[in-house]
Amino acid sequence: MFSIEVNKLTKTFGSFIAVNGISFNVNQGEIFGFLGANGAGKSTAIRMLCGILEPTSGDAMVGGYSVMNQPDKVKTEIGYMSQKFSLYNDLTVEENINFFGGVYGLYNHKLEERKKWVLKVAFLEGQQNLLTASLPGGIKQRLALAIAVIHEPKIVFLDEPTGGVDPISRRNFWDLINELSQSGVTVFVTTHYLDEAEFCNTITLINAGNIIASGSSKELKTKYLTNTILEVECDKVIAALDILSKQKWIDETSIFGNYIHVNVKDENEGRKLIKKVLTEQNSIIISRLDKIVPTLEDVFIYLLEKDENKNVE
Amino acid sequence: MLNRIKAIAIKEMRQLKRDKRMLYVLFIFPIFLLVIFGYAINFDVHHIKIVIYDQDKSTDSRNYVNSLTSSDYFDIVGYIHNDKEIKGVLDTKKAQCVVVFPRDMSQKLYSKQTAKVQVLIDGVDANTASLILNYMNSATAAYSQKLQGNILASIGRKAYIPIDIHPAFWFNPDLDSTVFLIPGLIVMILILTAVVSISLSIVREKERGTIEQINVSPLTSLELLIGKTVPYTIISLMVGTLILVGGHFLFGITFKGNLILLFFSTLLFLFAALNLGIIVSSIANTQQVAFQIATLVSMLPSMLLSGFIFPIESMPVVVQILTNVTPAKFYLIILRAILLKGVGVESFWPQLVYLMIFSLVLLFLSALINKKSKIA
Amino acid sequence: MRIILNIIIKEFLQLKRDPRLFGIVFIAPVMQLVILGYAANMDVTTVHTAVFDQDKTSTSRKFIWAFERSGYFKIDDYVDNYSRITKDINSGNVLWALVIPKDFEKNIERKQSAPVQTIFDGSDGNKTSIVFGYLQGVVSNYSTNIMLQTMDKNGLKNPVAGSLTAEARVWYNPDLTTRVYMVPSIMGLILMVITTILMSMAIVKEREIGTLEQLIVTPIKPYQLIIGKVIPFIILAFVDILIVLSVMVFWFGIGVRGSFIFLVFSSFLFVLSTLGIGLFISTVSKTQQQAMMVAQFAIMMPMIYLSGFAFPIENMPKFVQYLTYLMPLRYYIIILRAVVLKGAAFTELIPETLMLLLFGVVILYASSLRFKKRFN
Repeated sequence: MFSIEVNKLTKTFGSFIAVNGISFNVNQGEIFGFLGANGAGKSTAIRMLCGILEPTSGDAMVGGYSVMNQPDKVKTEIGYMSQKFSLYNDLTVEENINFFGGVYGLYNHKLEERKKWVLKVAFLEGQQNLLTASLPGGIKQRLALAIAVIHEPKIVFLDEPTGGVDPISRRNFWDLINELSQSGVTVFVTTHYLDEAEFCNTITLINAGNIIASGSSKELKTKYLTNTILEVECDKVIAALDILSKQKWIDETSIFGNYIHVNVKDENEGRKLIKKVLTEQNSIIISRLDKIVPTLEDVFIYLLEKDENKNVE
Repeated sequence: MLNRIKAIAIKEMRQLKRDKRMLYVLFIFPIFLLVIFGYAINFDVHHIKIVIYDQDKSTDSRNYVNSLTSSDYFDIVGYIHNDKEIKGVLDTKKAQCVVVFPRDMSQKLYSKQTAKVQVLIDGVDANTASLILNYMNSATAAYSQKLQGNILASIGRKAYIPIDIHPAFWFNPDLDSTVFLIPGLIVMILILTAVVSISLSIVREKERGTIEQINVSPLTSLELLIGKTVPYTIISLMVGTLILVGGHFLFGITFKGNLILLFFSTLLFLFAALNLGIIVSSIANTQQVAFQIATLVSMLPSMLLSGFIFPIESMPVVVQILTNVTPAKFYLIILRAILLKGVGVESFWPQLVYLMIFSLVLLFLSALINKKSKIA
Repeated sequence: MRIILNIIIKEFLQLKRDPRLFGIVFIAPVMQLVILGYAANMDVTTVHTAVFDQDKTSTSRKFIWAFERSGYFKIDDYVDNYSRITKDINSGNVLWALVIPKDFEKNIERKQSAPVQTIFDGSDGNKTSIVFGYLQGVVSNYSTNIMLQTMDKNGLKNPVAGSLTAEARVWYNPDLTTRVYMVPSIMGLILMVITTILMSMAIVKEREIGTLEQLIVTPIKPYQLIIGKVIPFIILAFVDILIVLSVMVFWFGIGVRGSFIFLVFSSFLFVLSTLGIGLFISTVSKTQQQAMMVAQFAIMMPMIYLSGFAFPIENMPKFVQYLTYLMPLRYYIIILRAVVLKGAAFTELIPETLMLLLFGVVILYASSLRFKKRFN
């Protein structure tokens, strides 16, 4: 049985379709990533799955309960961490733990047990009397996550959990997520950080309310992107970019730092044509021309553009 | 500098424009309140409920009762026939006044003695009770005079009134209390709008952290404050105009005085009120606290300490001094002078000066407080 | 129900951390009650007068003295031209001017009616009416004295005809002090303002900072959240009730003639309804600023004006009177005045008590309905 089963879930606000009949499944213990630009429908989807937003049509089974008809039961099975920081800044760490623990029905020695765990995991042992407002960003996020799962739910939803957090803290945070996943908790994450997406078992790409790709990182890079990506290092980068992007035999060009990524159907043909167009016709010196393994970002951009173009047609 | 102020003012206006509910409240409610209160609030006492306990049952007592009801001051709601019922009537507020005619009233009248009519008044509402007292006294004196006149006439003598008072009631010949109270209502609405909206606006930026962004910019505190007050000044002026126009059409409030003077005085008042709001925002860190403090210094004082309902002269000296804490007091005097009396600036220039001083003191104070922390 | 306890504890912890809020809840009511209790006074004590004596005879001087002796009138300015009178009245320095024309003494001696001019600043119709009443009293006494003197001179011992006088007895408040009437009402006012403000921020604040979403996602039920949020404020309000009652009894010396326990109980019911109203506002507002504006303009101001606190409900037009039935403050003030001043028992106030109870329950229930754990 799946941990989460989503079946043609739809949400419209008036004439605006936020989520357009999406369907997918998530296995127990999986780290499932929901990737997309801002406004693509991620937060709307996650809210429906948590039972706090009523779907317009379709349904999803979360932890065995229907979000359309049994949202209250759903809430007993899940944990959630919202995009905005969701703990009370004017309470101490311990007071926050006590409060949310109590709300989830944890008391006495069970609460004490979980409290110890939360403090340990958030690196706050011995510091439970600190005011939450005074904690640094990364610690706050860990605390929020730990409290979100204080009642040991089977599924936890994280909505853009690492916004504004430094890279090291982010890494630590994902270590925590991995721990949870190892212990059998399904982790459903929305993010727009592509490097974090790499940590997920399954990545689903959502754009304008539709799922446009789904699979593991490896699958996405190989299945969707049949083309070759060539990386060009040259002088006059901007001019080169301009020239290359106008070429009809190139599917995609994008700039990464000082290098240009060119998306071509055939490697050899591509090499030849690039040299011809840049060096011969425009006197641009190429210092390096390599085939690279596509990054998720390459896949992303390619798929998004394809989707946009499809809509335009 | 002007450009930066303009930028802040425009941003503030855009934010306001998008908050439709807020605009609704700011504009519609005052009008709504004006209508309701304009009709509701007045001290004029009409149709006072009285109960008659006639132990005399003579022509005279009946004539007297008729004279009472001939004006619309009194409405007779019942007759009682024994002492015990008096307490019941007053306790349950069935009537506010019981008129008792003693058994030997007409007998005394015709035997050249003084007959006493007992008037028992529910004194809980002291103001109305005083009015009832006055009316009763006048009515009784009038009836007495008429009676004497009749008796004198019947024996061929002429009665005369030694002193004949010719009263002239300036500004408000009908002694209509609504006309006097509406300016107070206007003042209250204006000060609430000004103080609360600006203090909340500033504190909200503090809470959200957008104040940081502003602090980092070349904008000075002064420019920020001026820029923020501009939209609210404009809105308050619009609301004020709306209310005055509404008051004119609904309640006949006239502008006997100079419109330009009115505009200028209102501007000065708004300046003072907004400064008050700014001080509030300097000491509050959350919107909740800002609201509390803003209401504390604007709502109740402007209603109870400004001379709106309760005359300042009647207050203990200490409290009279305290009334200077609200700019509403000064503006109310000016407003009444312009609207009701139609007098010129020579009659109320002290108030204008006080408003100016008030504003400058507050401005100075808020600059002092803000300097320490740059609004953050 | 441990969840409810959890919420209550959290609310108290949060309150504890904001010292300013604390001061507002406990200190402000006391301050306000004291200041406003002294300010709320409609008794006219000193009437500023100007006198223009064109006669300058001993009779005219005796007449003027009669006014001063009454204790009400204070002669601030002896003038000798009309333009001074205009100036005095326009600037509000005097309320009225007495003009005694040239042949005053002659007329009195010739037993002819002596005209006397009185010019009033009629802006405050209410005050002017009351003062005019005093004036008539003084004049009528003086007239009677004159008449008695003349009759004496002519050897008439007894009046030719009887006269009618009114003997007034004022119940519950023999000194007709407004303070006795106002202080309990101001108490009600303060309670209302504080509880409404506190509660109106309760939910909307959590919505603004984002913790509300975190709460909705948990298995918590709406009624648990609502009860959990209301109870801390009920406790605070209860303390406030005791504080303001103490100030009323010990500072102002206004003893409670009726049952103290019933007073506290009905205060509690009242507070329940105002908390409910505040909560309701909180559930319909998107931002704290909106909540505040709605609380002030839509709730507090109407309640203050239409509750019968300062403006008698009987004076209002019928349709407005119907509106007042919707104000919990109206019932509370009735109960307050009846219990404190008249010593009324619970049995006489059953309808009002029931209304308060009904209000509280209905509004709290409506709020919990509005607070759905799912958005649409």
